Amino acid sequence: MIYVVLSFLMISLLLYVLLAGADFGAGIIELFSSRKGRDTTKKTIYRVIGPVWEANHIWIIIIVVILWVGFPEFYNVITVYLHIPLTLVLLGITLRGVSFVFRHYDAFKDKSQILYDWMFRLSSLITPIFLGMTFGSMISGEIILNPDETDTFYSIFIGPWLNWFSIFVGLFFASLCTFLASVLLIGESNKNEHQRYVLKARIANITVIVMGFLVLAFGYFNNLKFITNFIKSPYAIVLVGLSALLIFPLTHSIKKATRIKSRFLAGVQVVLILLAAIITHYPNLLITSDGTVNLVETASTPKVIQVLGISLIVGGAVILPGLFHLMKSFKMIKILEKL
Amino acid sequence: MDNLDAARLQMAFTLMFHIVFACIGMVMPFFMIIAHRKWLKTRNPIYLKLTKSWQKGVAIFFVTGAVSGTALSFELGLLWPEFMKHAGPIIGMPFSLEGAAFFVEAIALGFYLYGWDKISEKFHWFTGIIVGVSGVASGILVVSANGWMNAPSGFDYANGVFSNIDPVKALLNPAWFTQALHMTLAAFTATGFAVAGIHAFQILKNRQVELHKKAFKIAITFAAIAAILQPLSGDLSAKDIAKRQPVKLAAMEAHYDTTKGAPLYIGGIVDDETQNVSYKIKIPKALSFLAFGDFNAEVKGLNDFPEDVHPNVPIVHYAFQIMVGIGTLLMIVGILFFISLKRKSWWQNNKFWLLFIVLAPMGFIALEAGWVVTEVGRQPWIIHNIMRTKDAVTPMPGMVFSFYMYVILYSILAIAVTWLMARQIKSLNNSKIA
Ligand code: HDD
Ligand code: HEM
Ligand code: HEM
Repeated sequence: MIYVVLSFLMISLLLYVLLAGADFGAGIIELFSSRKGRDTTKKTIYRVIGPVWEANHIWIIIIVVILWVGFPEFYNVITVYLHIPLTLVLLGITLRGVSFVFRHYDAFKDKSQILYDWMFRLSSLITPIFLGMTFGSMISGEIILNPDETDTFYSIFIGPWLNWFSIFVGLFFASLCTFLASVLLIGESNKNEHQRYVLKARIANITVIVMGFLVLAFGYFNNLKFITNFIKSPYAIVLVGLSALLIFPLTHSIKKATRIKSRFLAGVQVVLILLAAIITHYPNLLITSDGTVNLVETASTPKVIQVLGISLIVGGAVILPGLFHLMKSFKMIKILEKL
Repeated sequence: MDNLDAARLQMAFTLMFHIVFACIGMVMPFFMIIAHRKWLKTRNPIYLKLTKSWQKGVAIFFVTGAVSGTALSFELGLLWPEFMKHAGPIIGMPFSLEGAAFFVEAIALGFYLYGWDKISEKFHWFTGIIVGVSGVASGILVVSANGWMNAPSGFDYANGVFSNIDPVKALLNPAWFTQALHMTLAAFTATGFAVAGIHAFQILKNRQVELHKKAFKIAITFAAIAAILQPLSGDLSAKDIAKRQPVKLAAMEAHYDTTKGAPLYIGGIVDDETQNVSYKIKIPKALSFLAFGDFNAEVKGLNDFPEDVHPNVPIVHYAFQIMVGIGTLLMIVGILFFISLKRKSWWQNNKFWLLFIVLAPMGFIALEAGWVVTEVGRQPWIIHNIMRTKDAVTPMPGMVFSFYMYVILYSILAIAVTWLMARQIKSLNNSKIA
């Protein structure tokens, strides 16, 4: 049963990164567009993401619930030591959520739109950066599990996430989101705007590669355990290699504007990179200065895991078809049109 | 302010914020689908207009509820890591089911909001029902988790170790039913009176009277039924508490000495030092009857329990008085509303509308007061008789800053949402009905 729970955890994480990631990324693109580009992007975002926007973000709640029920010790460490970045993520999620609704549901469209727009764009950028920094801190080995007198507030509660490695991971994650979003938007724009998103997709793709390289290089030269493991792991290398190879068909299909294929390829690319990270990670999802926290060893008792697993299976059976139907009805997954 | 106080205040503040949005998000869909149904039946465009404007309200409240809820689900761990470490696995069941219910709600809402003219009329309407039902389901599930904190069950506890965990038993803890019933009714009462009050105001101002009267009637019908049932369910809760949490009951009633045939105090000013309640109205033997259904039953007083398990008596007592006072008032008004259906002349009288305008915030005040009774009355325990709140709090210093951040953020949000709603109503009044 523990593997059922772990699979749900992994799938929720992947879906969150893909769906909410594209969603954050759309805001980032809007931020980095010209004035006119912003308007069209705003309209496209609403049309494409509007109906599924809420559902995209519930994945993080599922992740949190699985963690606290199934892996309480792991969750405990994150919430204590990464309190500050998590609070900042929450701040971002809150501002982003409300500004999205405010700007589309306000009864009058007047000057206040400017405020909502900026709130939306900025929080779209900040949230994934802090989220990425949180991921980075989990593996940077800076968390001090058993602090003693010599440790200060800074070294216990700030140092673990405010460091170059975490910042690089944060920027990497934000550019990944932008990349996903640009590929999504390409498929939704008309001929005239097309070029704009193709350009954005290129820039984002290059940023992803540069940032990814920075993360690896920085980790390697500072001898971070996670990165050295990553580089040594044959699986990780193969997966990352595969995802690098996908760049060629992807560039081609972006040029040709076959939107189904581009989305599919971009999605696969991101999933491969994440899988590589997860495989190196597993089962030590937390690497701290004084040891690791093993996800499987700190799991709850079998009975709890069993009930959790059953709830997830039942919940999944209800939710997934509904979600699928929703995406299909509103043409979110273009692949489905052919079915 | 020390760290524990800041964390407690932050929890209280964010929950009191969330609950308003959660209740509206839970109840408004029901008003919406009734209006929608009437549109489908009568094809009177007023109903379509009403449905569409309520739907915007639902969307705004849903998202504010959802983001504040997301913040809460992190907050439980961020503020009370020790609590979540032990309680998480035990009360995870309601929370994971709640996650499922939220998901269903969000999917159905996606269909509802974006489905006009795109999916079949019947199915579209039906997705609205799903929004409502899953909203109520998730409310019941969270409250059941809260019930577990009041009536912990489904595990063995010895020397600080929780073993033999049975999540199903924890979900169906002894407090879940009374609390969930009372809370669901409260959500309908509070939201119903608030919505009815807003429309009553528009009627008084003579704006789009026909539309607002229809809206008023839908909202107040729900509210009146719930308000009439509320005291009955509250009585069940009180009897429950008398058995399970006698200290809480004693604090609610400011009842210090154990007595047989205990009197009920209404109102009064509590002096915790001298254990004296002045300016009260005293009803002989009523407390014994309310708590145990027997005029001569013995009711335990606070002095029977060690000082260090007493909650803050004045706060709990005042909050309880506020809730019961308002509850009685709303019940009477609920009955008056049904009488008014027979006496149409009342509907021409401005005083009638004025009454509902004044009552608009009352339901929510009672609801917040009720939660203060439950939560402050449980102190000093975070898990009744098992874990103290002070042992659960995060070791991270500086929680005051986090508290201030939330106060500022949520105050701005509250103002923004109120302003948006005012604009929504304004645009409703400005536009012509097709
Ligand atoms: C519209 C709101 C509202 C109204 C009119 C009332 N209540 Fe209430 N009450 C609540 C809203 C509420 C609540 C906020 O929903 C609580 C907090 C926890 C809960 O389950 O419900 C609550 C809790 C609560 C409790 C404590 C339950 C616990 O700690 O487990 C008792 C004993 C009562 N109520 C009793 C009453 C009585 C006798 C009422 C008679 C008029 C009454 N309530 C009206
Ligand atoms: C009595 C207390 C509560 C009730 C009745 C309640 C009810 C609800 C409802 C009905 C919603 C749906 C939002 C809407 O329709 O506007 C919601 C959202 C949410 N609540 Fe609460 N809630 C309560 C307390 C809590 C607590 C303590 C938590 C934290 C653990 C929580 C977590 C959430 C989450 C995560 C969401 C967002 C789900 C989404 O995205 O749809 N709630 N709540
Ligand atoms: C939404 C309605 C609710 C309101 C208005 C509310 C209100 C409060 C208040 C006033 C406190 C502070 C008590 C004190 O420290 O003196 C508190 C504490 C707390 N509540 Fe609630 N509560 C609500 C529902 C819930 C639910 C549904 C849960 C859990 C599932 C919950 C969990 C907690 C926890 C963990 C604390 C902190 C520990 C403690 O002070 O005991 N609350 N709440």
